Amino acid sequence: MKYVLATLILSGASVARAAPPPEVATCQACHGVHGEGVVDGGKPRLAGQSAHYLDKQLRDFASGARDNAIMGAIAKGLNDQTRSKVVAFYASLPVPVPLEHASATAAQAERGHQLAIEGAEGKRVQACNNCHGPDGSGVALSAPALAGQLATYLAAQLKLWQQGGRKNDAGNLMSSVASKLDDADIAAVTSYYAGLNASTPASH
Amino acid sequence: MDRGTYTSIRKFRHPSVEGVTVAQRLKEVDVVVIGVGMVGSILAKELAAAGYKVVGLERGTTRFTVPEFQSPGIHDELRFDVRKALMQDNTREPVTFRNHSSETGLPIRRWESFLPGTGLGGSMVHWNGQTFRFQANDFELATRTRERYGKGFLDPDLTLQDWGVTYDELEPHYDRFEYLLGTSGKAGNLKGQIQPGGDPHESPRSRDYPTPPQKEHYSGALFRKAASSLGHHPFPQPSSNLSQPYTNPEGLKMNTCVFCGFCERYACEHYAKSTPQTFILPVLLANSNFELRTGCQVQRINLDSSKKRATGVTYIDNAGRELEQPASLVITCLFAINNIRMLLLSGIGKPYDPVTGKGVVGRNYAYQTMSTVASFFDEDVIINPFMASGASGTMINDFAGDNFDHSGLGFVGGAFIGAVNTNGRPIQYHPTPPGTPTWGKGWKDAVVKHYNHTVMFSLHGSSVSQRQNYADLDPTYKDAWGQPLLRITFDFPKNDLRMAEYVTARGVEIGKAMGAKQVVGSPRKGPYTTQQYQTTHNTGGTVMGNDPSTSVVNRYLQSWDVPNVFVIGASAYPQNASWNPTGTLGALTYWVADALKSRYLKNPGHLVSP
Repeated sequence: MKYVLATLILSGASVARAAPPPEVATCQACHGVHGEGVVDGGKPRLAGQSAHYLDKQLRDFASGARDNAIMGAIAKGLNDQTRSKVVAFYASLPVPVPLEHASATAAQAERGHQLAIEGAEGKRVQACNNCHGPDGSGVALSAPALAGQLATYLAAQLKLWQQGGRKNDAGNLMSSVASKLDDADIAAVTSYYAGLNASTPASH
Repeated sequence: MDRGTYTSIRKFRHPSVEGVTVAQRLKEVDVVVIGVGMVGSILAKELAAAGYKVVGLERGTTRFTVPEFQSPGIHDELRFDVRKALMQDNTREPVTFRNHSSETGLPIRRWESFLPGTGLGGSMVHWNGQTFRFQANDFELATRTRERYGKGFLDPDLTLQDWGVTYDELEPHYDRFEYLLGTSGKAGNLKGQIQPGGDPHESPRSRDYPTPPQKEHYSGALFRKAASSLGHHPFPQPSSNLSQPYTNPEGLKMNTCVFCGFCERYACEHYAKSTPQTFILPVLLANSNFELRTGCQVQRINLDSSKKRATGVTYIDNAGRELEQPASLVITCLFAINNIRMLLLSGIGKPYDPVTGKGVVGRNYAYQTMSTVASFFDEDVIINPFMASGASGTMINDFAGDNFDHSGLGFVGGAFIGAVNTNGRPIQYHPTPPGTPTWGKGWKDAVVKHYNHTVMFSLHGSSVSQRQNYADLDPTYKDAWGQPLLRITFDFPKNDLRMAEYVTARGVEIGKAMGAKQVVGSPRKGPYTTQQYQTTHNTGGTVMGNDPSTSVVNRYLQSWDVPNVFVIGASAYPQNASWNPTGTLGALTYWVADALKSRYLKNPGHLVSP
């Protein structure tokens, strides 16, 4: 057993040390050298996000289905081959430890935890983890990982879903959910996910 | 409920022996609703909003989307699918069953054939969301069958009869129910105009569905192409797992279904399946005219000495106390078979006697005649059966109801045929071709080979009523409170087995036209068994109609014998049609709500002279 664990850790470390392909230099400038994200400006972490999700977002940026001037320009510059290289690289990276440490009050932490794992009947909001997986670890073909994601990024996205600035999901699910959350809910749930350490396996 | 409470309830089984005094009498209310499921919550909301004091008595627990229905707990297939966690507790309250009256009924200790639910929201919490209307013909089946095929057409022991209400009368109520639920579908007949893409056989509807159809599954696409090539008329199954966000007329918002494949036997975690929890309970519970009491096992409806007027109900609560709730109006809204039992336990209406054919309560018990067709493909055809909702099928009505000529066929009725793949859950879903070993390596290999390459058709057949099929109180077995169980005596009428044979052959033709490598039709065969899941569409037993000698309730579902008792459920159906019964029950519920508000409550008494 010990041998197996050691092998896993070593192989993980070797992935982390793999030299990034040259195509990701543009990404690194904003998303960090290892795709861990950058707190300043709320640039999301890409490392360990599913290939399917990353690929869809890049395509949506390119087509305008997801509206972002900077990412739109960059995504349009990627051909199929380059995009798949970039996507494969970030999907293969180990999930980093959280960049942000929770500064939430106890009440906020409790509310965030509640919204994430249980939802809120009073607002008719279901648990985020229903779709985003145990501990927000993501579900490969349908919903991105939230654990360890930057709170500033998550909050900005929830606002976009709320206000109609982002619509590139299936069935308008995220706008339905986000429209029922108030600012305090958003602060609570985003700081909860930002503080989750997704670099270790789900705790339950 | 824990064992301690159970013991305290047992003490009340024999009050005279235990020396327990009479039930405590509570303050009288306007209306008691027995069972707070789909019917109970809709009616209670209508009456509370109209200003009446309503008490809802629910034997199960309260439960809501949050927290009770949330993931990952709600996707526990062993707990919900195999062990039936959401169903009526049959260690305390089973049903006995036999095929023929010459046999001795035995308690069903494990639900398999049908799955009556319990708890707030009732059986609808665990439904699949398949939301149909019956056709105009169904409501006048006896008359129209005689007119079209002549007098001697039907087997002599069939007891088909008209409903006493017509499709046109129910249409506005169907409409209201579909808009309450947000049902996703495509109209096929708008005010007499046939609409491309919808069901051309449906009876006219006044407007389209509130939301467009759900996305079509790959198996549905294969079915659509094949059925069209044979000249049939495929259309998207109407679904109350919604295709887009929807706000219903009660102001409640629902979400888009995510095709998780855990509908029937489960509750929805996403506010995407229409259930009382999503479409009405928050509004009902906010009304101070309504009081919900859970954990209340109603023992009987109480009658005065004339036996022509109900005075209220007696129930036992979770603490084991016997309580009497007086009320001016009693509405029993239980699951179909429990409605029958409530009347029998209360002495309302004359029990049916299969020997003489006289009596009405328990008469015309019917079911649904389910057949299947499995189409096995090679491994290059990928079905992904796990991406499903409970109602995201593609189907035809060309062989349902009276949509085809029955001359010379020797049966009445039919079935919808559809690629209705409601799930691909790992424990229960593993189609394999005939000849596959039932265990071991051979079975496992076949499951792996076929799981993702098989299309299953559902052939949802009608069920005629016949003299020998009925329900009564069991002479031997009692529930945890000492009350006799309901006993069901049922076998498939020959009419329905002939229908299943004919319609399954049509399904096999479609499977072959899809290009499947092997197509296996399994028409329903007798004898009926309670040990294999078929469907939870038990109907009849408290039948509606215009003749008190062949019906328990009048066309407004009001008891002929005790006019301040209304009995609402699929138990009112004189026979069952080719479609899932829920849509029609929703329409009947609003039909009754209208009659109560506009006529009965203003001037209580018989709405139809007996």
